[in-house]
Amino acid sequence: MAFTLYSLLQAALLCVNAIAVLHEERFLKNIGWGTDQGIGGFGEEPGIKSQLMNLIRSVRTVMRVPLIVINSVAIVLLLLFG
Amino acid sequence: MHSAGLATAGTPRQPSKRRIPVSHLGMSDPHQLFDDTSSAQSRGYGAQREPSGLGYPTASASPQGAFLNDPVSNMAMAYGSSLAAQGKELVDKNIDRFIPVTKLKYYFAVDTLYVGKKLGLLFFPYLHQDWEVQYQQDTPVAPRFDINAPDLYIPAMAFITYILVAGLALGTQERFSPDLLGLQASSALAWLTLEVLAILLSLYLVTANTDLTTIDLVAFLGYKYVGMIGGVLMGLLFGKIGYYLVLGWCCVSIFVFMIRTLRLKILAEAAAEGVPVRGARNQLRMYLTMAVAAAQPLLMYWLTFHLVR
Repeated sequence: MAFTLYSLLQAALLCVNAIAVLHEERFLKNIGWGTDQGIGGFGEEPGIKSQLMNLIRSVRTVMRVPLIVINSVAIVLLLLFG
Repeated sequence: MHSAGLATAGTPRQPSKRRIPVSHLGMSDPHQLFDDTSSAQSRGYGAQREPSGLGYPTASASPQGAFLNDPVSNMAMAYGSSLAAQGKELVDKNIDRFIPVTKLKYYFAVDTLYVGKKLGLLFFPYLHQDWEVQYQQDTPVAPRFDINAPDLYIPAMAFITYILVAGLALGTQERFSPDLLGLQASSALAWLTLEVLAILLSLYLVTANTDLTTIDLVAFLGYKYVGMIGGVLMGLLFGKIGYYLVLGWCCVSIFVFMIRTLRLKILAEAAAEGVPVRGARNQLRMYLTMAVAAAQPLLMYWLTFHLVR
């Protein structure tokens, strides 16, 4: 049962990295998940797809700089302690 | 104070949010979570204690008396205690920013009767009719006065008991070592965190406007530890048959409990009116409730099956 809090943190870091790496123009627009394709007027319920696109865009905007810091720290720690 | 409040006991309740008048609770202050027992004691203490500069007992027969009488060390201690008081003020002011202490106090305002009734409800939720939380002037009533309110006492105690019972189970199978205990605790905590994050994410995605706070969610998800403890203990006493029987019973109970509780929180409008409005959206919310409730038995089994051989 090796599912510890530390492995949860590592998995979360990897997931956030994966979301941050999705490129807006080369990838998201090609599968119809670009940020300018989602907003469907002022309907009451945004729907799951537009919520997801909003989430991806916000994660990419907010976490760009902190991820640099956290990744560097993680790299140094993994190099030192394996 | 109580007699004046009880005189208005005939006030009718509003149907929408179950507001109860102060008199029904028998409390003097409606926003008070805990009974105030300080006044009688502190008066007694104040009369007995001599007012020395720092409140220390002036027992001058000991060598400590000579130490205290020295004016320089008196000043030093006064300065030290004022520094400590300032530091305490600073911490008290700022702690609320990081850990919502006042909100947490609400979840621990329980008493023995509530705990007993809630445990009974967790093992047998089939006869309970009214699952709505009572409100009082827009704030939820403390768990002591309403059995439907979530609390953090039972989940916290159940979690710690689960770790101890896991240690016991491992010990009876000659597999125990102290770091395994920490591993069990860490693993269960990690699963809990993962569950909370997954549910928060899905609540965001289906745009459910609930008043279900994160701490509420942690409280509801912590109730399954009670069933897990029951299962493992029965497994220790009666072997695998006992384990599967009790675990099966607790799984079904937790499933029903979660569905009935979450239905009122997530599907609030539909449940109140009884008529499905805007079918597709409510369907999504219903699926979410079912998924959350179904994940509980799965996790209960996953976290305990390796403890019973």
